Amino acid sequence: MGGFIGAIFSLPLLAADLRWDGALYGYAAHSSLRADSVLNPANLIARLPQNSSTAEARFNFKAEGEGLRLTARPILLAQDDRNSFGSQRQTDAYLSQWQLRWRASEAWSLAAGREVLNWGPAQFRSPSSPFYFDNGRSNPMRELSGVDALKASWTPNMETTLSLARITGSGHVVQDSWRDSWLLKADQRGDDWAAGLALVHTPGQGAFTGLHGQFTASDALMLYGEASSSTRASALQSPADAALPFSIAQRSFRRTTALLGSAYTFENGQSLNAEYLHDGHGYSAVEQSTYFTRAAASPMSAGLSLGYAPSLLGRDYLHLVWQSNLMESGGYWRTMATHGFTDGGNELSGYVEHAISGRVTVFALGVLPVGTARQESSSLFRHSVTAGLKIALH
Amino acid sequence: MKLGIILSLLFWSANACAATDAKALLEHADRARGGGLPGIVWEIKLTSRDGDKVSDEQRFEVRAVDDASVAETLEPARFKGSKLLQVGRNMWLTRPGLSKPIPISPRQRLSGEASNGDIAATNYAGDYDAQLTGDEAVDGEACHVLELTAKHKRTTYDKIRYWVSVKREVGVKAEFYSLSGKLLKTARFDYGNTLAHNGQRIPFVSRMTIRDALLDAETTMVFGTVQVRKIPAAEFDLGQMQ
Repeated sequence: MGGFIGAIFSLPLLAADLRWDGALYGYAAHSSLRADSVLNPANLIARLPQNSSTAEARFNFKAEGEGLRLTARPILLAQDDRNSFGSQRQTDAYLSQWQLRWRASEAWSLAAGREVLNWGPAQFRSPSSPFYFDNGRSNPMRELSGVDALKASWTPNMETTLSLARITGSGHVVQDSWRDSWLLKADQRGDDWAAGLALVHTPGQGAFTGLHGQFTASDALMLYGEASSSTRASALQSPADAALPFSIAQRSFRRTTALLGSAYTFENGQSLNAEYLHDGHGYSAVEQSTYFTRAAASPMSAGLSLGYAPSLLGRDYLHLVWQSNLMESGGYWRTMATHGFTDGGNELSGYVEHAISGRVTVFALGVLPVGTARQESSSLFRHSVTAGLKIALH
Repeated sequence: MKLGIILSLLFWSANACAATDAKALLEHADRARGGGLPGIVWEIKLTSRDGDKVSDEQRFEVRAVDDASVAETLEPARFKGSKLLQVGRNMWLTRPGLSKPIPISPRQRLSGEASNGDIAATNYAGDYDAQLTGDEAVDGEACHVLELTAKHKRTTYDKIRYWVSVKREVGVKAEFYSLSGKLLKTARFDYGNTLAHNGQRIPFVSRMTIRDALLDAETTMVFGTVQVRKIPAAEFDLGQMQ
């Protein structure tokens, strides 16, 4: 990475414009783990941290010349995790995103790099993207790292964009599940609507088809949706009959996942989003109940449950977000509530940040699951709190 | 009968001329606010006051063409790199590290009294039907008064009263109304910038001051480092905003 950053600084030779900014993050988190957890009894399976302290530096570099642009987002991380088993320190330095883009003509551009290939208007989950179903919007501190790709884009006018990408790797993650995938993405925009189609082929997996769209119905009201049809690799099967064991299918049946949402903006700039998600890969109420029963049977079952479970255990969810004006310069707050219809579980969370100067912001995130150890949202911990500060460097 | 036809033709002709004049006047006034140009890049310094509360100064680099614009935040430092993309009535907000762009509704104000549309190039001639309704002086300067009515729903305002200087042919004052005729805001414009375009030097907007019609709130936008530049459509593509 050092060589790469060095290359950025040498770019003024060909670049007319070099910009950078960055932020230092320092935050501490505390989680109250469930003593009676079925999936992680006495924290023996997952060994989750109960307390952690994190220091992070996130930079953004951009060098731009005639038709060429280089961007990079290096991250430096130091984290200290503590639980009843002891403490663990990790340090990391990586490129979360980077891209070298060449604008070959007014309509054509070619790019290589590590890019967050995420799209669509949904906040709760992103069904139309195969790479980021959990889009990280529920945790504002989470850094989403890109996938490695070579991409050609054609934008003949303001309404249309077509992109073809070769995914060369999964980026800064251990499992390289997206290597050698192809992505074809088409986007179309009208006066008050925008829509996109994503087709992904990954070797050894079923084709992924994703759709997303949004419609600005009035100055205040927006309607939107995302959907996909896909299979899952290494999918944990949980038959409704508890007498049968878990099984892991190399490829699951094809399922549809769809999200419908609406956002209403009030006169004061605050907005309320309501989203309904149906995830065809999740369990029915009976399957989910037997899933917990099997997990309680042995630590091995619990390990399988945690490692191979679907991204969301249940099938149907309602997610509400009420937030302040996103462009308010003095501060920002956001409250979220999620109800799982499959098991009746709930999760409440809130995030607040307050600017104490032009550069320094304090922030806090609280998450409160409401339910029992056999409901998805409350299966691992009782509450968690994160608080810290962010310093803008430049 | 013949006299009636002649009078009707004369009346139609007079109306058509007035409409053409109003449109031509509006096109000229738009040019001093970025309209009708192949693309414009400018820097905007924005300050807002709500009663006694003064917000931090914000600074944006804006690239705009027709009804599309991208405003990138330069200051305050904590929002540096944030981008507001507007294409028609579609709007998105992106920030470094944000997992994906957030779609926002047109009601989300940029800051203070400034709407998102206020930072883009002005294309009143394309977005509004204009009618010349009289003459009136603004601070001693003789002005034509134009009544503008939105042609489509993607405009920021439903109706505008626009005072255009007789001598300079630039808009010096505006009143913005809702569809029901309620006065929402007033604005004043200064033209301290000069722009060279097609071999001509034209006066160009340097300051816009927007006041809330009901509250004691005011936002001032100062326009600087203005460049006319053709901007490729890809600059307004959400998928290439990184």
